[in-house]
Amino acid sequence: MNYESIWLVLLFPIVGFLVQALLGTRIEKMFGRRVLGALAVLPILLSFAVGLMITLGTKGGPEASASIAQLGHWIDAGNLRIPFEFIVDPLSMTMVLIITGIGTLIHLYATGYMSEEREYARFFTYMNLFIFSMLILVLGANLLLLFVGWEGVGLCSYLLIGFWYKDIANSKAANKAFIVNRIGDWGLTLGLLLIIALLMSQHNLIADGRYLSYDSMLPALKSVLQANPIMATAIGLLLFVGAAGKSAQFPLYLWLPDAMAGPTPVSALIHAATMVTSGVVLLNRMHIVFEMSPVASAVICVIGAFTALFAALIAFGQSDIKKVLAYSTVSQLGFMFIACGSGAYWAGMFHVTTHAFFKALLFLGAGAVIHAMAHNQDMRNYGNLRKYLPITFWTMILGTLAICAVGIPGVFGFAGFYSKEAILGGALANTHAQIEGVQLGQISGWIGLGVAALTSIYMTRLTCLTFLGKEERWRNIPAETHHGDDDHADEHHHVLDANHTPKEVSPSMWIPLVVLALLSVGGGFMLANNGVFEHWLYPNDLPVLGKVSTEPSNIPLALYSTIAAVGGILLGLAFYAKGLPKNQDFDESKWSGLRRAERDQFGFDNAMTVATVDGGGDIANGLWQWFDIGLVDGIVLGFAKVSGGIGLILKRCQTGYIRLYALMMLVGFIGFLSYFAYALTQGGR
Amino acid sequence: MMLLSVITFLPLAAALLLMLLPEGKAKTIKQGALVATGLTFLVSLGLLTKFDSGSYAFQLSENHPWITALGVSYHLGVDGISLWLVLLTTFLSVIAVACSLKVETRVRAFMACMLMLESAMLGSFLSLDLVLFFVFFEMTLIPMWLLINIWGGEGRAKAANKFLIYTFAGSIFMLVGIVGLGYLQFQTTGELSFDLVKIQEQVATGKFWAGALTTEPFIFWAFAIALLVKTPAFPLHTWIPDTYAESPTAGPILSSVMVKMGTYGLLRFCLPLFPDTLPNQVPIMVTLAVIGIVYGAIIAAVQPDMRRVMAYSSLSHMGFILLGIFSLTRIGLLGGAYQQLNHGITATILFLLIGFLYQRKGSTLFKDYGGLKSQMPIFAALFLIAMLSSVGLPGTNGFVGEFLAMVGGFNAAYNHQFSLGLIVVAVFGVVLAAVYMLYMFQRMFYGEVKEDNKTLLDLKGPEIALAGVLVVFILWGGLAPNTFMNPMQTSLNATLKMSTGKAGQRPVWTDTDAFIEAKKETTHRLAMTAKVNP
Repeated sequence: MNYESIWLVLLFPIVGFLVQALLGTRIEKMFGRRVLGALAVLPILLSFAVGLMITLGTKGGPEASASIAQLGHWIDAGNLRIPFEFIVDPLSMTMVLIITGIGTLIHLYATGYMSEEREYARFFTYMNLFIFSMLILVLGANLLLLFVGWEGVGLCSYLLIGFWYKDIANSKAANKAFIVNRIGDWGLTLGLLLIIALLMSQHNLIADGRYLSYDSMLPALKSVLQANPIMATAIGLLLFVGAAGKSAQFPLYLWLPDAMAGPTPVSALIHAATMVTSGVVLLNRMHIVFEMSPVASAVICVIGAFTALFAALIAFGQSDIKKVLAYSTVSQLGFMFIACGSGAYWAGMFHVTTHAFFKALLFLGAGAVIHAMAHNQDMRNYGNLRKYLPITFWTMILGTLAICAVGIPGVFGFAGFYSKEAILGGALANTHAQIEGVQLGQISGWIGLGVAALTSIYMTRLTCLTFLGKEERWRNIPAETHHGDDDHADEHHHVLDANHTPKEVSPSMWIPLVVLALLSVGGGFMLANNGVFEHWLYPNDLPVLGKVSTEPSNIPLALYSTIAAVGGILLGLAFYAKGLPKNQDFDESKWSGLRRAERDQFGFDNAMTVATVDGGGDIANGLWQWFDIGLVDGIVLGFAKVSGGIGLILKRCQTGYIRLYALMMLVGFIGFLSYFAYALTQGGR
Repeated sequence: MMLLSVITFLPLAAALLLMLLPEGKAKTIKQGALVATGLTFLVSLGLLTKFDSGSYAFQLSENHPWITALGVSYHLGVDGISLWLVLLTTFLSVIAVACSLKVETRVRAFMACMLMLESAMLGSFLSLDLVLFFVFFEMTLIPMWLLINIWGGEGRAKAANKFLIYTFAGSIFMLVGIVGLGYLQFQTTGELSFDLVKIQEQVATGKFWAGALTTEPFIFWAFAIALLVKTPAFPLHTWIPDTYAESPTAGPILSSVMVKMGTYGLLRFCLPLFPDTLPNQVPIMVTLAVIGIVYGAIIAAVQPDMRRVMAYSSLSHMGFILLGIFSLTRIGLLGGAYQQLNHGITATILFLLIGFLYQRKGSTLFKDYGGLKSQMPIFAALFLIAMLSSVGLPGTNGFVGEFLAMVGGFNAAYNHQFSLGLIVVAVFGVVLAAVYMLYMFQRMFYGEVKEDNKTLLDLKGPEIALAGVLVVFILWGGLAPNTFMNPMQTSLNATLKMSTGKAGQRPVWTDTDAFIEAKKETTHRLAMTAKVNP
């Protein structure tokens, strides 16, 4: 299929969105949920099919030879032109396949997961809109269209986090996500503005006014920034602020753990597999800027490494299964940024891909567990679930092995093995990311290696607490006497108690798990084989950095990372194989100080909340009361009192006769005006 | 052909006719007002067929001597800047009347006020004589004051007084400015005139201010203060929270047009008439704009009343318009001018929806609501779309205008017209907009429904239709902004050259070559557009 058919990929989800939004409840009433669910999955599947055919039709060239489909005008303002244009190149198509492919699986899963919820249609309305926005983000051929998708996915994320709107906490989590993302967007917007201003100040560099279109902007930026490395750093850092917001890097990661308030399929699709990787996509798209700024690259590496470490540590303090996975996602995103900072952009995208496989799997698996456990998310209530949920258990084991990056060097590895290897190799083998000669990229690589070990430990902890051990800890919850189901009739869950028996989930839910498990096992091997993925994504050497190696020559990295992965798992098994240790039980005062600090994100979230929400509220109230009402109004009303004294004399005239009063005002005014003008012209003569 | 006069005075004539009807015939009066505004809107649509967007000259102009002894003329004309504002006024007047059909007290006077206000606003946008402009500008004051004072909420007396004092105080400055300009025109040409076109002709050659360069900033500020009060801009904004909170629903809708008289006046007078002092005033104006953006947004977040949130949000949004206009760049000017329309649409739909809520429950305080999403799902969906437009989400109209204003502002700062720090702060206003709007949304829609709100009904057909029309414009303006921006560009470019060109090189509105030159530019633009889309 030709690249010009790309509009089809966008068409299906938007049609799906409109159907769900406008006809959803009616279809549900007439044909039932199965039909409505099928209508939600189908557009995404069709998009995937078309995307696949287009991908097979492209021969994979560098960005310069990318195919751009023009679909009309959007903004023509003075000499700035931003059309609706869409780019078909390896980067965008990789993302299209991930979004629609994983998206189809998760939509399918959600038809089962959400089947007991009210407002089925509303859920899929948002989900289809999300897919559409995400596709705009990756397919848009200029930065402003990327921004459209960027904010669009933020909106859908906001709507889906707050999906269960009756709980005000969900609303707060949703607001937090949107607002923190907007802080990132602030940086991204400034980056866009700076690019426009910079390129506009160079006369006739871009004759057709498409200052933000990749095909004209990127070559222009290359020539302009070569003479102006400071500007490269400025643009690079601003774009990175945007990327950090969307991809949850420190300190803007704050929204992602709270975002787990949304339904689990949302967490899998938006907050693990696709949206949160947008930052990495942006850095890949704009890599020319970062290639020219070692400083910005070094900052990216350092923030990435710190985020990876910070989030991995926090994961140890979490008892909520989704929270562990959320911090794990933050941590893995940190890895992707290490790759991009060190210049191994393809490795970042590689990890985006494999991470989409295994993290979607882990989240969906966790969702299956939560579903089976009456929506209780606390791992301290789990244990021995392998007995009840065999498919979920085995698929999640494979996902865990993938995220732990287990593999035998040179023979075979799970998906994460290859991508993490490429990232750490890229960081350790290159000298691009440095400030004043300090090799921050390489330091980040070593930190990453340590975090890889931590990853294995906390993931083993999750697996053990959930599936292993003999103790079925929910049996300790005293059974409640059910007093009639009628007042719970509209609620989606009954409670977890000792009488509860978990049941394996329905096929619509476990089929996606199996498919994702297969991808988590073989996906990395397939894509890494002979560097298929690398050569597809970046067929030529980078324009500035040239060839970026991901194999450090003097470090036996494969050995080290295997030790980290396997050692971590063994260590984790040693601690947790028997079940929940006593000092991590419900009584959190018995936890070690470190674990409590980890649970509280080392106090960071709380400090930020106090500073912004409480402090900001106080400032706003103070300004309002003291400045607006006190000072400005005081002056105005003081003035009014003086003139009010004069007004008293006239007061008798106005009682009741509104019309007369109005007329008098008009006549009086025009008279006053004429007199004033007349007097002045007399004076002028 | 007196199309402009017809548009301007049709509502006023209707108002007079309504006054002849007996007070008892409330229904007839309401229908009459609706027909009158509808008719005015239809007639104003005729402008689109007659308007040539390739020219920046005033079109369909009517020029008659009025008060000959004072050199005051009755001069009307429309150009790319006023075109959409006229249409916005006629369009939103229909909405304002349509949403006021439930008014029960003094219906006749109410509708007459609305129609009079419409005429006054239309007259302001179309006047090309400063005195005529001033008369119309002041004429808005009376009906608005009455609307607040008679049909307003509990604090109406205080609100009405504040409104009156502010606008009056501003007007005195403007009057001085107008007289000053007339006097200087007399000195320059020996003929007393308040005609904008004639005065600008002298400004363009540089003769006008040649002997009065020290007076120029004073007269600039005389205009600017009056117009900034209207806009409103920081720190002259404190009338707007009371006005919005205390007027009947139609009040804020019409004032969301009325405040455009402020920014329109800045575009029409403060830019082209004061080119020599403009570069010195730009940093001050931009600073006020940016303070307004941030200050308005911060204070909006802690308001207990939806309409007060909207008031402070207006302060914030108008800041972006000011930023765009005073960036003095083509893109910024376009962004600012376009954002005027967008803000009119967005503010109207929000006020409309809040008004529907008020009609149901009689309160706009947050403490009376919560959990409405389950109770009124259609209302929630429409409110969501309106909110997204207000926070400038891409795809809605609010994004395009604000983005272009920011591009303009950034370019100006990049070229050292003012500090880049101002833009960095202004862009942060977009974050703050999300804060106060989402917080508002949360307090209205999330959580459990209050027991006494369980009887609230969702929106009905006519209400959905009314808001739906505005949603169409939100999306249209966001996805195909060229429809609205293209007719503005020629006029805005001319205004920009009048404001930034050197004496002698500034275009004038009466220039006979203007038409040809503009044609060239349009052809060029079309050629470039063709390149984009082969």
